[in-house]
Amino acid sequence: MEERGSLADGARLAARGFVYVVVGGVALVAIVTIGSVLGPMFALDLATPAMAAWWTVFTSIAVQAMPFLLLGTAVSAGIGAFVPERVFSRVLPKKPTLAVPVAGAAGVVLPGCECASVPVADSLMRRGVAPAAALAFLLSAPAINPIVLIATSIAFPGNPAMVGARLVASLGTAVVMGWLWVRFGKEEWLPPRRTTGKGASPTGWRGFRDGLQHDFLHAGGFLVLGAAAAATFNILVPRSVLDVFTDSPWLSVLLLAVLAVVLCVCSEADAFVAASLSGFSPTARLAFMVVGPMVDLKLFALQAGTFGRAFAIRFSSVTWVVAVAGSVGVGWWLL
Amino acid sequence: MRFRTQGVLLLLCGAALLRVSLFSELYLRYVKEGLRPYLVMSGVLLLVLGVLGLVRRENGDGDHGHEDHQGLGHDHSRSPRIAWLLAAPALALLIYPPPALGSYSAEREEAKVAAQGVGTFPKLPAGDPVELTLNAFASRAQWDSGASMKGRTLRLTGFVTKDDDGRWYVARLFVNCCAADAAPLKVQVRGSKAPARDTWVTVTGTWHRTGKPGSDEARPVLNATSVQRVDQPSNPYEKR
Repeated sequence: MEERGSLADGARLAARGFVYVVVGGVALVAIVTIGSVLGPMFALDLATPAMAAWWTVFTSIAVQAMPFLLLGTAVSAGIGAFVPERVFSRVLPKKPTLAVPVAGAAGVVLPGCECASVPVADSLMRRGVAPAAALAFLLSAPAINPIVLIATSIAFPGNPAMVGARLVASLGTAVVMGWLWVRFGKEEWLPPRRTTGKGASPTGWRGFRDGLQHDFLHAGGFLVLGAAAAATFNILVPRSVLDVFTDSPWLSVLLLAVLAVVLCVCSEADAFVAASLSGFSPTARLAFMVVGPMVDLKLFALQAGTFGRAFAIRFSSVTWVVAVAGSVGVGWWLL
Repeated sequence: MRFRTQGVLLLLCGAALLRVSLFSELYLRYVKEGLRPYLVMSGVLLLVLGVLGLVRRENGDGDHGHEDHQGLGHDHSRSPRIAWLLAAPALALLIYPPPALGSYSAEREEAKVAAQGVGTFPKLPAGDPVELTLNAFASRAQWDSGASMKGRTLRLTGFVTKDDDGRWYVARLFVNCCAADAAPLKVQVRGSKAPARDTWVTVTGTWHRTGKPGSDEARPVLNATSVQRVDQPSNPYEKR
């Protein structure tokens, strides 16, 4: 835009900013003062043990996810700001059908949990990577990166088949989902491609900073929403209730696949939770570990925020079905 | 939401993270120990971003003007209202950090020790009494065919939980990654009156054998000779 009108604009903005700071500052000081005086009293009133546990679990999920979310948004902002589009078109095969498995296998390189992969997949799409390939990456990255695989092998000592089964089932599910998108996916389920052209969003350090700030706040809000949902289920559904269902092999697979969705355990920790569900068959526990990093409440909230609700509902439900089918198949084969 | 409010939110999040990870050990109530450096780094990064977000508008906005007028959807100067939700955990951590999980969570779940099969365990370290983690005690009580705890004076630390049958336990939660995956460990205490729930205690006593190792009867039980109140340790969860 031209520099002319910017003076009036600037004055207006400065005035508005001043009001914001004053109002916001006063409000903040008031909240903090009242909060720190009344907070403990209130909290004691509210602190029925269940409520206190809810707050702790809720805060824990948020705190635990923060570094990974920041890593994910930093990588995504870095891709947006520094990596030109032609890099991806050169590295990835032209045909989406071939690009899907390559992108799925590339999930190995992003060390982190599922919170990190959503913003990265989003920025890949913005950089012109075929949605199918970006989605395969989105699903595989949190499940097959080395940190997660090592955690799995620690959680299941002396049982390398479990690690292998997890790798195969997760990668398989991701690739199948990518191919399903190639075949059936519709562009209009995704939000309109924002800035595929050149020069639309700033690049370089400023673009990096803007992107990081925006994506972190955006995804962070949805993460908090997901954390609240997960904490609610965590408190409402004691895990010991599940032991009732351990006898039926089919029911137990479905049950743990649902549990993975509502518990939202981070993909780096879910192997330990799966290992502790000792009453269940190995296949059911595999389903828990395959579904968890791909479909859960927290992830659904993040996807809905990033790609829109229409997409998130379709994508998550199909992914759930494919992941369950995949783990049953692989479990029958390997475990 | 404008840059300035974005900046405030980022500052809040950064300050909350630093408060629990750098300026105190409160983070141990929420996540595993190994996450600390990452929490500190994230906190610093968020503070820096927040300050940059605040400062640049005060310097005048001439050089960023075009962002406000960019109609093409991905407009970084605005972000949805949902980002405000971040204020909830941040303010909770700053004003009233939620307590560590305690007896409420421990009593809801059955304590489970990883099945490892019956066998002999290495000898207990020298010392009288020997400090043991609840996990070490429970797994020796359930799986040790060599009865390595026999005749030794043992010391366990945890908080008090009870069950419906009037038994009481010294308990601790085991956390793999964050408090959302906490799993309880419990050792029943005999021969001493139960303190109030959630009291932190150090229990000294001897192992009480309840059954053949590996059988269902083999439960972790301690005959207490003394029960002492202690402060909650900085890491309230079981050591790995």
